[in-house]
Amino acid sequence: MSRKKVINTILLNGTLAVLAVVWLVPIVWLFVTSLSGYDGMNTHRFFPETFTLRNYTRILFEPDTVAQFPAWFKNTFLIAIFTCLISSSFVLMVSYAMSCMRFPGRKGLMNAAVMLQLFPGFLSMIAIYFILKSVNLTNSHIGMVLVYSGGAGLGYLVAKGFFDTIPSSLREAAYIEGASEARTFMTIVLPLSRPIIVYTVISSFLAPWTDFVFAKIILNSGISTDWTVAIGLYNMLNRTLIPTYFSRFCAGGVLVGIPISILFIIMQKFYVEGITGGSVKG
Amino acid sequence: MAREKKKKENPVLGALKKIGSFFKDFGEAVAKGDIWVKASLLVAGAGYIRRKQVVKGILVTLLEVGLVLYTVLIGFPYLAKFGTLGTVRRGAPVYNPVTMKNEVPDYDNSLLILLFGVISISALVVGILLWMWNVVGSYRVQKLAESGKRLNTFRQDLHEMFNKKFYITLLFLPIAGIVIFNIMPLIVMICVAFTNYDQTHMPPTELFTWTGLANFKNLFSTGGLTSTFGYTFSKILSWTIIWAVSATVTTYFGGILLALMINSKYTKMKKMWRSLFVAAISIPQFVTLLLLRNFFSDIGILNNMLTEIGFTGFLQDVGLITTDYIPFLSDPVWAKVTIIVINIWVGVPYLMLIATGVLMNIPEDIKESARIDGANAFQIFRKITMPYMLFVTGPYLVTQFVQNINNFNVIYLLTQDIYTTMDQKLAASNGKEVDLLVTWLYRLTSEAYNYKMASVIGICVFVICAVFTLVAFNTMIKGDKEESFQ
Repeated sequence: MSRKKVINTILLNGTLAVLAVVWLVPIVWLFVTSLSGYDGMNTHRFFPETFTLRNYTRILFEPDTVAQFPAWFKNTFLIAIFTCLISSSFVLMVSYAMSCMRFPGRKGLMNAAVMLQLFPGFLSMIAIYFILKSVNLTNSHIGMVLVYSGGAGLGYLVAKGFFDTIPSSLREAAYIEGASEARTFMTIVLPLSRPIIVYTVISSFLAPWTDFVFAKIILNSGISTDWTVAIGLYNMLNRTLIPTYFSRFCAGGVLVGIPISILFIIMQKFYVEGITGGSVKG
Repeated sequence: MAREKKKKENPVLGALKKIGSFFKDFGEAVAKGDIWVKASLLVAGAGYIRRKQVVKGILVTLLEVGLVLYTVLIGFPYLAKFGTLGTVRRGAPVYNPVTMKNEVPDYDNSLLILLFGVISISALVVGILLWMWNVVGSYRVQKLAESGKRLNTFRQDLHEMFNKKFYITLLFLPIAGIVIFNIMPLIVMICVAFTNYDQTHMPPTELFTWTGLANFKNLFSTGGLTSTFGYTFSKILSWTIIWAVSATVTTYFGGILLALMINSKYTKMKKMWRSLFVAAISIPQFVTLLLLRNFFSDIGILNNMLTEIGFTGFLQDVGLITTDYIPFLSDPVWAKVTIIVINIWVGVPYLMLIATGVLMNIPEDIKESARIDGANAFQIFRKITMPYMLFVTGPYLVTQFVQNINNFNVIYLLTQDIYTTMDQKLAASNGKEVDLLVTWLYRLTSEAYNYKMASVIGICVFVICAVFTLVAFNTMIKGDKEESFQ
């Protein structure tokens, strides 16, 4: 090994190590604070003085007026399941129509979708709130599912890009065999699209876990058992609540963070597979 | 693809042409159609029933009846008041001798009038178009029958919905969702920009009404003591642009740099490094950002540590700060820098993932031949890697910029409840130095109920994003570079 090579290796790996430490500090802090024996935020030490699992047992088994973690988790989970079902099917349906079919107005619809996405989401949020209110769906989880999945069809671009890479000869062969368009979609295109289906399903499942603005607007009754995880945890960091709940916030953060990170990492893998899969197949 | 590329005509002109030919078809159908087609002007299904398409005929007639009933019973009362948005203010409860209770007499709710007015007008427009389309359809059926062709039975029509017309089945529900949850609300909020809907005009107790362009004038006029919106708008707009540019540029180049470092042949354990950075962004943003704002707070852990090692004292001596802590998130300038730095932390790993994917696709032989020609690493980066990256990720960069203009989470989670502005003029219009247009919009609605100005700002954001996107795409796609890397 030449001298230059050794220096380069040390330099690069050293820089990466420093960067990795910077990137991991908040996460390590989250984790160690969640094990802290002190309820509030310890501003003088990075690592807590005493380690305990009490924050976890308290947030899981001893809900109080502020921390209703099990209820939040259940709410968010139910909302996420239904959102995931509706949005994923909307996205896949629109993608197939836009990618594999040719019909009058197709281009026009695609341009309209681009235009619509240039409006800030919160603008329509206010009106959605009043529409839901007029049919009594505010402060209800059905309302939340509708908000998250109603406009899902707009997010079709990634899946369409994937469908575009499936050779049209496969579909044409199916038509010649007498398969209908619907059959082709279900039995030819969908089975070939595993990576992008997984990506779509996971990303729509994650939306309710990470969003807190829409949830805050729609679930505004102030009854903590109705909340989702995001608003609940946000509320724990209220100026008056921080001294008593900070370490429990961290425990809650770890508890939702772990499953979400796992799903996120799987999603990333399938996403990369999805966008690079075309070149392999072609 | 080939079919679409054949002739590139102006999309607006094309749409106008299509609308024109639709009206022509309608005129022709009314003029030349037989008595049954003319009857379907009144009873929608008549033409189809005559041609023995009974089920289809009954279905369209039912749809017609439903639309007419909706318009007459529900839509019309709202439409009648749409011009004024209501005139009867909610009064005090009055004793009702029939029910023997105190009841509030009937009153107008401007917001509901606006909401249902917009819905009714849209339903009316769609209804008229469907009615015209139906007449055209009836005439087409007549022509088919006259030329002796066999007409589809209802079963066959249904079958078509899963075959040639499968796109209608696929798109119906998603588009209905988009209309209800995106388009309708947007139209309503755009309308609000032309009313005086704010804290002093809150339904149901108060009424609001149309005010024309007054809100836009309010936003763009800088003079006056009471109106500080012009001042706030220019301040927040310039910060929004600075933020969007620096956030996009820093994360973009940071991500490419990180990807290059990880993929370098000198780097050991590439996979491990990559997963470490991905782990950092996989925790939900609201958790990490809320954590970071406490980490950087005035009495937070970082400030205490920096004081202990004497860094804060050093900054005081140099004169960079006047407080005995570093105002990471409480001083206008410091906060802006901190926010951009934190955003690098949030954004770089994403870009690293994307850049890794793109970098792997750069044909190795191009780089190899450059190396043989004597190019050094930096030249290869500047002349081959960067142009390739820019070419592939160009559209992504544009959407990223638009997303950063609308980046609500980072700003809101880092500054809400923490940052207070010292600028009276900003405070008067609910703005802060660190606000983006979207967070300002949100604060206006959630803290001041100033819906009219929020809507005006929303429209401005749209205009900015639309102009930027159009210009960017036009300049990028202008030169046909599609094949330069193939």
